[in-house]
Amino acid sequence: MIVPNAQAGEPPAGVEYAHRAIISHRFHRLSIFTWTLIAAPFLAGFLLLRLYAVAVGIVAIAAVAGTLAHDFRRTAARRGKDAALVVFAIVGSLLIFFIILPILDLLFTTPMSGVLKMARDPSVQQALYITLGSALVATAMSLLFGVPLGYVLAREQFTGKAIAEGIVDLPVVIPHTIAGIALLFIFGRAGVLGAPLKEHLNVQIGDSFGGIVAAMLFVSLPFLVNLSRDGFLGIDPRMENVARSLGATRLEAFVRVTLPLAWRSLLSGAVMTWARAISEFGSIAVIAYYPKTINTLLFEWYNFFGYTYTKPLAALLLIVALGIFVLLRATAKLRRTQHDPA
Amino acid sequence: MIQLENVSRRWPDFSIRNVTLRVCEGDYLVIVGPTGAGKTLLLELLLGIHQPDEGRILIDGQDMTILPPEKRGIGMVYQDYVLFPHLNVERNLTFGLAYSRPRPSRSEASRKAAEIAHLLGITHLLHRYPATLSGGEKQRVAIGRAIMTEPRVLLLDEPFSALDRRTARRLRSELRSLHKSEGLTILHVTHDLTEARQIGGPIALIHEGELNALGAAEELIRRPPNLFAANFFGAINIYEARVEDRSGEIYAVAGPIAAPLGSGASGTPWLMVHPDEIVLFEPTAAGIGAVHCEVAGLSDEGNYVAVQLRVSGLPDPLIAYTGRQWLRTRGIELGDAVIADLSRAIHVLDEANK
Repeated sequence: MIVPNAQAGEPPAGVEYAHRAIISHRFHRLSIFTWTLIAAPFLAGFLLLRLYAVAVGIVAIAAVAGTLAHDFRRTAARRGKDAALVVFAIVGSLLIFFIILPILDLLFTTPMSGVLKMARDPSVQQALYITLGSALVATAMSLLFGVPLGYVLAREQFTGKAIAEGIVDLPVVIPHTIAGIALLFIFGRAGVLGAPLKEHLNVQIGDSFGGIVAAMLFVSLPFLVNLSRDGFLGIDPRMENVARSLGATRLEAFVRVTLPLAWRSLLSGAVMTWARAISEFGSIAVIAYYPKTINTLLFEWYNFFGYTYTKPLAALLLIVALGIFVLLRATAKLRRTQHDPA
Repeated sequence: MIQLENVSRRWPDFSIRNVTLRVCEGDYLVIVGPTGAGKTLLLELLLGIHQPDEGRILIDGQDMTILPPEKRGIGMVYQDYVLFPHLNVERNLTFGLAYSRPRPSRSEASRKAAEIAHLLGITHLLHRYPATLSGGEKQRVAIGRAIMTEPRVLLLDEPFSALDRRTARRLRSELRSLHKSEGLTILHVTHDLTEARQIGGPIALIHEGELNALGAAEELIRRPPNLFAANFFGAINIYEARVEDRSGEIYAVAGPIAAPLGSGASGTPWLMVHPDEIVLFEPTAAGIGAVHCEVAGLSDEGNYVAVQLRVSGLPDPLIAYTGRQWLRTRGIELGDAVIADLSRAIHVLDEANK
């Protein structure tokens, strides 16, 4: 393979090197002109907005300038401009702008003091604990049930497998309020399982911590099942065959070989499940409005007190979500580095 | 001793049918066959990854048919090594010791790993991880890992086909001496005929999930029982024959070539003529079973000359191997007439086409 845009001074290091070369090659197709056009809507937006935007604008300009300087070093390969690519890049960058603008706006126009005050509010703290805690329980439960399911789906061929996989994906397409109502019919006070649970064990699921967990589990389970299945699919089943030929039972082979090789996928799936559970509102609002999760609290405050009052809380939750996002990206990166079957 | 009795297993798109096979303790059986013949599946049936629908698998008289792999005491080595990437070489080697009874202590396990590593010449690799090893090194580790638990049988699934030729040859001879010194029973799957011949043990030919032929390597190559085996082992001079009754005796006849048919024959017989058993004479001579032919081509193959003989009644020219000296002293050239004595060269492929 010819590597026209290899970084100077870097020692060739096999696949990794080639991979990086491909990335840098694609990167350079979007050269000076393109990058300027991509940056244009950003810059326009930032300049039309208030002061904080100027700061971000400077960062953006620096990033573009850095790219230009980087580009300038190669002169030969970037003569042919691809017009379609330029148009796509401009159109696409509008979408990115659409995502980033409200987020930046919320973060930069909310006074920090208000955010900190929110963080100290006992009802907010309470809601935060309940949300994070119930999401954690839901994640643990999805690991307990989802990992075995993912393993079976990855390893076995059976009639109805496609149906089982379809069912696992169902919660993704069912509107969450509907999921909440459906769950209420099962776990509600008069529900198929809810009534006997209440009667014999005095366990109430509707309007309780358990209800929140049930709703979270329902909507976030697909992530864990699918990611763990994909993780197991990435591990050569012959690895288990060899382990078993050496005397390990299937379970021992799973614990000593498959699990240590797949844990990154499982972790990534768990974090994604947890993140999805935290952001859930619709089904929780139906099955367990109390105790309040952060989303329920935010919704209620917005309804009663309006936009301005709720903004600091929204900003606080956004910061929490961004923290979770960083965690998510980190684990997703880990997952991609899953051991190659050597 | 390993016995497979009428082992069958159907999958939606493939099946293993009626395989009956017997491998004695200390034997080195080579299983050959084209790609997709079911060789690996046969090994995995033996290993216990798949269970047969019918038939039995016995090892040393003990019925293993439904035992899980971990109870069979069979070692497995795959073509692409399948080492545990998260464990270093030593931990790969000692993996199976955790399940041997009595369970050896950690120091005992390391000592044993060192012993096996010494045997295979991988002592210096013990603390490396699989990703850092070369193909040959990985395969040594895989073999070491399989023999650590002292299996009753070692299954090798194309163990050398991913290696370069020199490494493969070295490992092959090391494996042979290991087979002798440790008294291992080995089943070795390969699609490489040269490898099969070099190992020298008996050969089982698998075709479309069935055992096509079984026998000593040279015997199978000299006298393949059927058309498929003949083609697989690279035979030339194969002719479709018709059955003819010659005053009470049944013959297979193709042009001027004829051979008596065994009584159990069925279907269309095929005749095969061994090119190195054809004896050529000058046209003045005559003999029993002699066929008149014309030299249609000469090609020097190094140690011998392949002579293409046009024979009336045969669709393709007959190839005979002869010495360069013989041709030179008689001044035989293209277009000359010769007489070929085929009496020792004809072999009947009587098991129809299979």
